Amino acid sequence: MKPWAALRAVVMAIYVFMLGPIVITAAVSFNQSNRSQFPPRGFSLQWWQRAFSAEWVDPLVFSLKLGLLAALISTLLALPLAFALARHRFAGRDALAALTLGPLMLPALVTGVGLLQLFQYAGAREYIGFTALLIGHVVICLPFAVRTIAISLQTLPPNVELAAASLGASRAAALWHVVLPLIKTGIVAGAVFAFVHSFTDVNLSLFLARPGEQPITVKILGFLEYGFAPTLAAVSVITLLLPLVLVVIVERVSGLGDFIYASRSRG
Amino acid sequence: MAAPLALLLLFFALPNALLLSASFVKSEAQQLTHELTLENYQFLFTRPLYIWAFVRTFIVGVSVGLIDVVLGYPLAYFLVRTRSRWKGVLIALALAPLLASVVVRTYGWYIILNRFGVANDLLLALGAIDERIAFMPSTGAIVIGLAHALLPYTVLTIMGSLQGINPNLELAAMSLGANRVRTFFDVVLPLSFPGIAGGFILSFSIAISAYATPAILGGPATQVMATAIYGFMTQLLDWSIGAALAVILVVCAVALAYVAARIGARQGAL
Repeated sequence: MKPWAALRAVVMAIYVFMLGPIVITAAVSFNQSNRSQFPPRGFSLQWWQRAFSAEWVDPLVFSLKLGLLAALISTLLALPLAFALARHRFAGRDALAALTLGPLMLPALVTGVGLLQLFQYAGAREYIGFTALLIGHVVICLPFAVRTIAISLQTLPPNVELAAASLGASRAAALWHVVLPLIKTGIVAGAVFAFVHSFTDVNLSLFLARPGEQPITVKILGFLEYGFAPTLAAVSVITLLLPLVLVVIVERVSGLGDFIYASRSRG
Repeated sequence: MAAPLALLLLFFALPNALLLSASFVKSEAQQLTHELTLENYQFLFTRPLYIWAFVRTFIVGVSVGLIDVVLGYPLAYFLVRTRSRWKGVLIALALAPLLASVVVRTYGWYIILNRFGVANDLLLALGAIDERIAFMPSTGAIVIGLAHALLPYTVLTIMGSLQGINPNLELAAMSLGANRVRTFFDVVLPLSFPGIAGGFILSFSIAISAYATPAILGGPATQVMATAIYGFMTQLLDWSIGAALAVILVVCAVALAYVAARIGARQGAL
């Protein structure tokens, strides 16, 4: 069992590498001075107090609103796409699949630049901000929702609809009373992945935000130009905890399970 | 069906088509002119600053991919095979960093690597250095930050491929006299090659288009393609050159996705 013990030691070191920076960020936020001392010297909640001021809460709420709306819209739009792609064979299916997964293949940064130029050249500059961000986020979140829902549709035996139809249910009734409840977990998981993707995005938001209408990630990035501030460490911990709490709740209530593999960004 | 299709055509296909055409046109003051030109590309491929940005982006991508495979493989193997009762917790801990934005996770490295940061404090306290070292801005810092940020993706990809290996193959190898180590190197490792290649390409392709980490841990002297695009779009305000640079990034991403799909097809055939 010696190789296994060696592997365990290596794995422990990798965990330290993975989680170390996050632990250090959290610890540093309790420093008494405004230096990034680790282990922290003294104990103070003043940086946390500042993290809860309007300057940081506003972009945080903005990100939450954006993420929830983007998740809701992209999940609703994903349902018909997932049904078409998972259940039907038709001319142009490959093209539709490519278009649907396109936002995953192409860097979000490029989609952001493209949308910025589109809004500018179309004379719709005033939509830069929340509207443009929402559109962009729905586009880049859509593939996650489609993929997750398609996976749950594929694992569903196709004859449940036939069974419902043979018992007299209309197509719509079979969908609503039989299929949707059975793929509920997939839909919820897709929405969660969409939310997390929106909430953590920076590459697309960078180009479509404007002062007063920027997500928390863009706000942090802009603030970093002034160097270190322990407030930022506290804000970082908050933005890390929010999606974590959401995922833990959803996992408890309905389960994310094997859909985790569908959350991979590309490939 | 019409709504999502319209959304994708209008706000995904159209902006990308627009970028492609804008990259072949001169622009002035953020408006396109009617003058067709190859100058945007010529500009990028003749200035040493941007040639270096291409080279640096490529070096960062390859290094991040390699580091993530080297670190991700043992972790994925452990997580798939362990019989520990902490297995669920360990998998959650390995994937939880994905819930934090790259900005937040890179900020942790900023705290560690900056001139007055944790690493300098530690080395000074240990007496290993006499004065503070500038770990960042540097390409090395960008590589570390991105390798750290993208590791969970590689772990997920390799775990997926390891889970697909029939455990009977290993039992067969051992019953034929191979020990555990030999079984691993002769059976498991070759069979998980699609996962390794997939994980490498995934972190490579995300790394070359990442903006936040190079912006935080790098500087003007360590430009990559993503930071250069941002510069053209927001500071230099030459949107056509920005579009050309974006097109080059897309070509790289599509080429990588194509290779990944080819490997995926082989995985299916195995």
